[in-house]
Amino acid sequence: MGDPAIAVLVGLGFGVMLVRRRSVATLLVAVQAMLLGVAALSLAGDRPAGFLVAAVILLTRALALPALLAFTRRRTPEPYLVTPATTVLVRLLVAAVVVLVAVASIPPLGLGDVAAEQGAVALLSLGIAIVVMRRPAILQVLGIVVAENGIYLLAISVPGGLPFVIELGALFDLVLVVTVAAAFTRKIHAEVGTGDTDLLRGLRD
Amino acid sequence: MTDAAPALIVAMLAVPLATALLVTLVPSPRAADRLNLTTSVLTAALALVLAVTALAGAPGVAAEGSWYVLDAASGVFLALISVVGLASAAVSPLYLRHAGRGWFTARRSHTWYYAGFNLFWAVLLALPLADNLALAWLLVEATTAASALLVAFSGKRSALEAGWKYVVLTTLGLAVALLGILVLYVAAGSAGSGLGRLDWHALAQQGERLPGQATLVAFVLILVGLASKIGWAPVHNWLPDAHSEAPPPVSAMLSAALLPTVLLIAWRTELALEPALGLGTVQELFIGFGLASLLVAIPFLWRPLPWKRLLAYSSLEHMGVLALGIGFATPLAIAGVVVHLAGHGLAKALGFYTAIPLLRQDPSTAERAPRDIARSSAPTAAAMSVSLVSLAGLPPSPLFVSEVMILLGGMDAGLIAVSSIAAVLLALGFLGLAHALLEGLLGTVRGQRPRRSHSARAIGALAVAVALALIALTVTAYALPGSDVVTALTGSGA
Repeated sequence: MGDPAIAVLVGLGFGVMLVRRRSVATLLVAVQAMLLGVAALSLAGDRPAGFLVAAVILLTRALALPALLAFTRRRTPEPYLVTPATTVLVRLLVAAVVVLVAVASIPPLGLGDVAAEQGAVALLSLGIAIVVMRRPAILQVLGIVVAENGIYLLAISVPGGLPFVIELGALFDLVLVVTVAAAFTRKIHAEVGTGDTDLLRGLRD
Repeated sequence: MTDAAPALIVAMLAVPLATALLVTLVPSPRAADRLNLTTSVLTAALALVLAVTALAGAPGVAAEGSWYVLDAASGVFLALISVVGLASAAVSPLYLRHAGRGWFTARRSHTWYYAGFNLFWAVLLALPLADNLALAWLLVEATTAASALLVAFSGKRSALEAGWKYVVLTTLGLAVALLGILVLYVAAGSAGSGLGRLDWHALAQQGERLPGQATLVAFVLILVGLASKIGWAPVHNWLPDAHSEAPPPVSAMLSAALLPTVLLIAWRTELALEPALGLGTVQELFIGFGLASLLVAIPFLWRPLPWKRLLAYSSLEHMGVLALGIGFATPLAIAGVVVHLAGHGLAKALGFYTAIPLLRQDPSTAERAPRDIARSSAPTAAAMSVSLVSLAGLPPSPLFVSEVMILLGGMDAGLIAVSSIAAVLLALGFLGLAHALLEGLLGTVRGQRPRRSHSARAIGALAVAVALALIALTVTAYALPGSDVVTALTGSGA
């Protein structure tokens, strides 16, 4: 992937950190996955098996998972937008610092594509930051997906590509985890009356 | 028997997977109990046959195939997972009898519990057999999905919190580990193509041909990622919550089987990359996680915590001890690790099973430390005693022997300061658990008289069996140093 495209991917990740509406965040992650999927398809090019695997991954990441999260969002209506723990400016600042520190501290990973390496590390750290700083359960699930999109960016940048077993296995695991997390989101909403995970803070020593 | 290994492996994994499907068809909770118990005996028997085959083949490899390896390490872990799994299956009806409505309706709760339990058990049994780092990662990730709903099975708000933390934190940790695996895959480019590049023996054979910096980065990312699932400090936040909120038989599976089995993957990675990185670097990382886990866990063992939460922090302590043993890497320390794995598994599983009658007799012990159990229920008190005496490392507990072996192994490796610090921390941990046991048995309590629990007698009988097994393990421990099993685990591919 080219540098501008990687910059767009990271920008979409920042968007998930900043927006308040779960629907908008889901859309941003879907666009991110779509961009990655299209890049994977173009890289697979003349390898029919690789093209098929890339197509399955694209459909799952860019359509099926966002559709599952959109369905979960519809089943867990929020009367009001969950108040963020911090302001947009603070979230932007913290995310920027986290990403810059992570990118600066990770040495070259050996792929020979510095932009892809830095983009992957940026998305992974951004995903972790989203989980830590965003309160709605669905936004935390989207943080996981952003982190996994970072790994996928690295995977499609590996010279010669990854074995299909790893690509499809990782996709299967992601689908399982997001499905379980979606089930939790609905149950938490049913129990607490909102998807605000900040209300789940009873376990302390 | 070695020739039959592939068929046995398929059967061992197929039985719990089939049970997970079949249990959804049975008409009543009692039929689900019976089906699960029957198939669990079969699963455990198959796993134990494979374990014996693997251990008999040590120090060599008993069998290997396209995706699996049946070696000494897989033998030790198959034995552990099968025993803990069978015991958890046997006590599950005691828990479910009074579980009532939770995440699922009371009528369907047995069905979904056993479906999840068997899926989780099948993935756990496959994990020590995995002959490939990427495959092992896929299975570790799958354990999260398979066990998360079990953690939140009660449907209580606290259980949802614990399950949510478990899913989110371990998934993020494993994403970091996957990043490391991709880096290692690229670094091992000359080791052939495809998935086989990440086979344990292919990585080890690469040795110094692996690029040092990229391999080190990969190893650190993999270890840090797996640490979040093993529950090593400082990435252990989910562990006390998940272990204390899950149903007791599931807590036993998490603590006695899941954590050590994920630790095996870290151990196999360490052995595979040690030729490239040198012993020093990998030793330091394991020892660092070990000491950090002990330092974080010990203060909590001194606090009057609810029973299952106390056991959860004890898990943190014991995963730290295992990390130290692997980090010391001397034959004596590795012998100690094997004894510790088995002893911790038995004692910790019994401890969690004890929570079934304990919580039935006095539900308030879910929120506070138990008191006066010796007066209210002798069988429950006996089970508590066997568990905590063993976990504390009081002789003749095998954990006393294993901890001495590990500490002496550390001194043997020239790491006298680390061993001394660990000895002091273990002594403090012993005192904390001993205090908790005395308070739990004899401490006075005000308020209503506890209810009777019919499950107490069953857990008391189980305590007798576990006590005998622990004593047998102590005796066996003296024969372990220098054995073929330890030879295999120290050098030729744990």
